[in-house]
Amino acid sequence: MTAPVARLTIRGVIARKWRIFLTILAVVSGVAFVSGAFVLTDSVKKSINDVFATLSEGIDIEVRTSIAFGDEATAERDPVSIDVIDVVTAIDGVRLAEGNLLRAATVIKSDGEPLRTSGPAFGIAWVGPDGLDGRTIVEGRPAAGPGEVTLDKSSARRAGYEVGDTVTIVGPAGKDDFVLVGLNGTGKTTNGGGASIAAFDPVTANEFLGAENMVDSIYIAIDEGADRDAVMAAIDVALPDGLQVITGEQSAEETAGAINDIIDIFGNVLLGFAAVSLFVSAFLIFNTFAIIVSQRLRELALLRAVGASARQIRTMIIGEALVVSVIATLLGILAGMGVAKGIVAIFNAAGAAFPSASLIVSPRTIVASTVVGVGVTVAAAIVPALRAARIPPVAAMRPELGFNSLQKNKRLVVGSITTGIGLVLFSIGVFGQPGGTSGTLGLSALGAILLFLGIASLSTTVAAPASRVISRVLPLPFRPMTRSVPGRLGSRNAQRTPRRTASTASALMIGLALVSTVSVVASSVQASFKEQLQGSVTADFFVSNGPGNFQGLPIAFSERLSELPELSAVSPFRAATAQVNGDTKQIGAVRGSAFGQLVDIDLASGSVESLDDGKILLHRDPARDYAVQVGDTLSILWLNGTEQQIEVGGIYDDATIAGNWLVGLSTLQAVSTATPTDFFIGAKIADGVDIEDARTAVEAVALDFPSAEVQDQAEFQQSQEDQLNQLLIIIYGLLIISIAIAVLGIANTMALSVFERTREFGLLRAVGMSKRDLKRSIRWEAVIVAVFGASLGIIVGIPLGLAVTTALPSTFITTTVVPVNTIIIILIASIIVGVVAAIGPARRAAKLNVLDAISTH
Amino acid sequence: MTSLSTAAAGAIDAFKIYGKDDSEVRALDGVTVTFASEKFTAIMGPSGSGKSTLMHCLAGLDSLTSGSITIGDTNLATLNDKELTLTRRSNVGFIFQAYNLIPTLTALENITLPLDLGGTPVDQQWIDTVVDAVGLRSRLNHRPSELSGGQQQRVAVARALASKPRIIFADEPTGNLDSRMGTEILTFMRHAVTDLGQTIVMVTHDPVAASYADRVIFLADGKIVDELDNPTADHVLDRMKRLGS
Repeated sequence: MTAPVARLTIRGVIARKWRIFLTILAVVSGVAFVSGAFVLTDSVKKSINDVFATLSEGIDIEVRTSIAFGDEATAERDPVSIDVIDVVTAIDGVRLAEGNLLRAATVIKSDGEPLRTSGPAFGIAWVGPDGLDGRTIVEGRPAAGPGEVTLDKSSARRAGYEVGDTVTIVGPAGKDDFVLVGLNGTGKTTNGGGASIAAFDPVTANEFLGAENMVDSIYIAIDEGADRDAVMAAIDVALPDGLQVITGEQSAEETAGAINDIIDIFGNVLLGFAAVSLFVSAFLIFNTFAIIVSQRLRELALLRAVGASARQIRTMIIGEALVVSVIATLLGILAGMGVAKGIVAIFNAAGAAFPSASLIVSPRTIVASTVVGVGVTVAAAIVPALRAARIPPVAAMRPELGFNSLQKNKRLVVGSITTGIGLVLFSIGVFGQPGGTSGTLGLSALGAILLFLGIASLSTTVAAPASRVISRVLPLPFRPMTRSVPGRLGSRNAQRTPRRTASTASALMIGLALVSTVSVVASSVQASFKEQLQGSVTADFFVSNGPGNFQGLPIAFSERLSELPELSAVSPFRAATAQVNGDTKQIGAVRGSAFGQLVDIDLASGSVESLDDGKILLHRDPARDYAVQVGDTLSILWLNGTEQQIEVGGIYDDATIAGNWLVGLSTLQAVSTATPTDFFIGAKIADGVDIEDARTAVEAVALDFPSAEVQDQAEFQQSQEDQLNQLLIIIYGLLIISIAIAVLGIANTMALSVFERTREFGLLRAVGMSKRDLKRSIRWEAVIVAVFGASLGIIVGIPLGLAVTTALPSTFITTTVVPVNTIIIILIASIIVGVVAAIGPARRAAKLNVLDAISTH
Repeated sequence: MTSLSTAAAGAIDAFKIYGKDDSEVRALDGVTVTFASEKFTAIMGPSGSGKSTLMHCLAGLDSLTSGSITIGDTNLATLNDKELTLTRRSNVGFIFQAYNLIPTLTALENITLPLDLGGTPVDQQWIDTVVDAVGLRSRLNHRPSELSGGQQQRVAVARALASKPRIIFADEPTGNLDSRMGTEILTFMRHAVTDLGQTIVMVTHDPVAASYADRVIFLADGKIVDELDNPTADHVLDRMKRLGS
């Protein structure tokens, strides 16, 4: 860029700083999402990796059971006998070997309520700071015998305990009281990153945590100067079958990696919303520059007349976009740090206690934010820049010769083709599902983007007639508007520049189309789920671990419930991973004698009771895929390497609750010694027992399992729906940001239009229009644009939602629902959006001095 | 004044036709004309006579339907957009009726704009001469919005002169000014031709303005219908009345 073009560019931006302010705001919000996602994931990962690095610092070697297949990091392994510790200790070069034992254990707060944590609640075996696992004593001393415990400092504080207090803790086998003899910490931090950690001495832990002389793995430190590889080889030789030896670093990496994956998912969701809001911002940017270019028609033509080349004009407009984008990107990166900090704060308020609060802004964050912020802004300004460069110099004297825009027909063709390709890609993505989840998402997202662009282009053609229709059919309270002068003017103005109306409305369309899509899918899932639940649940009570708690219930719970005379049938639902004929599957394990009375799985053949005879039940879909019938056998490979030939005992039609595969509890217990926990427990009231009496009995048992939640059928259904609703609220909340950007877009377009029509407004005021009427006409125009955008969004979004619903497996979706309420809310909200967006511009128009307005040229 | 001046610009058989068949409008209907260097020529004619179109085409702002335009030795029809831009930048100056200046640039920056755009070094002595001649020395760092209409128009004239173009086109340069300011501008344009050796072609419908020119060309219905050398306002008015009747 040469000096004079640069000067024109900078001056251009400064002269229009208020007009591009909203544009900058839009870019900032998009970039903030991007940088926020990266800053957050980088910072949290770093702190979590630090914790695991600290924990594994003293561990040279780890011994654990090997798994037959699947992910090393997340597998539910069988435990290791404590006898192996002695075997390992005897090996030359081993300085110290200790058992690592970690089980679910909930701390009861001083007020009697269970301590809720955002992470897991653990009880562990800990020899004290001399041990290998890197924990430290922050206060007091480590637990040294029965009846003693230490808690991590943050959990102790939140539970209201100090050293010396008596603490009630619920373990897998029940609850017990312990004296708090000290507070533990991890490295520099005094909390477990959202988990609560109750540490017992190994003997007490073995008993209280129900470990039965087993440990999860064995930590080993080697003698100074010993050759680790040699020691590992020696251990490997000495170990019984089914155990493996790995380095401490590998173990730490695996654990941290598994957590990092979860954080990445969270980051990717944020990036997804960044993409949506940037896409919406692109429309706003495009619109702003298009309007600014048309307002500067004479100035640009003059530049051309006095010798600026088309290229210089193009460079100047793109340069302006560049300046805007750089400013916006810088602000966006800063805002992103705020976003990350805010999210951490929200999580901490919920008890997550992230180990470190320092934010990491990596070069990647800056590069990605810049590429995205600058890229989107400049890309959106390219078309307006090209259009500016095409302005003929003669327009300096004859502005009416200004633009020769894309012809209507050409736009129709381009728009239709883009829409078509978008639809095809979206359909392939949703229905064909090539390349797994990422392929499906990528292809349908690309399809949706093209679809939106195509519709945006086509909408130019319908903008004028649609505005006319909207201004006629808007409901009664607005009826008088259509006849009054302000009403007519507003409507005509919306029709006057269809291109502007269309691209402004399109920005709103995107957010609302996504809301419509999500609401169709969610309503359908919800309705289907309700329907299935009503059809399949026959249990009177459900016990689960409460929402948001992913740890299972201690198995002792269901055993205790089975003993209650008030209940006739009790079955837990447990899950295990196994390979069926080589494919990895989640298999449920239940008590065959009871499960049939609790859940109606719509048995097509065989019997549910056959589960207790060591048979397997499966849904008709996998039965069809594996071509098996009752009496056939399937080869099942369990995670620990045990392989079994299991006979098919039944085939069922309803997988809502049972999932696709079921085995008997006894089958699972016989093959795997992995620590079992239950997903939920179902129970049926015995004949003649009053429901209230039964509930009292169940609640009495639940007192010993404070994290458990007892629900009757209606409550269970409600809690399932609540979970879905919570997810929806988050999705809607994030989409609202894209809608807010679209509102900025409408406000921006209106503000720029007001500026452009200064003379016109002056004239209207001069011939006697009141300020109030002038404001009304502007407001009306904005409402028409907003309703147009909302209508487009609904028209595009609902079919997309229906398509997704159709593509979902029939086990998920049995009914398709179009949420009429949501649609009405969207339309009403869009009217409000229009009114809100018009506030500023209308006020500004009303403030114009009549004389000044007319004399401006 | 020298009588041996060469042609600065010219049109041969220039046709400019808008529309087709029945709705055909011949804005230029076979115009052949030459404009001598270092002369001040006025183009006159009633509204719709084609005088503005002729000027736009001569200046390379608009293209002919048929015929040719030359500026110096260059036939504009043979140039693409880029070459036309370069020609305008170095060989042509413009003064419009209004909206002559870029609002975000100062007066001085506006004056040197054509030079800056072309990366041409500024001839400071010449700029000083021009600036002093138009009497803008004290207003150079002001933005257009801070200048009066007459001052803005003087900046426009200075800009047109800045690159020492082969020819300057002025489109109703006094149309938006009161008569005192108009006189000031016209006097200066006369001065630019007589004393600074510039060439100016001016479109106007004001006989007084035309009387500042060396020669007046009269246009009607896209054709040259008359011309007058060394005009006075009365003569011009007289001719116009005759043309109008």
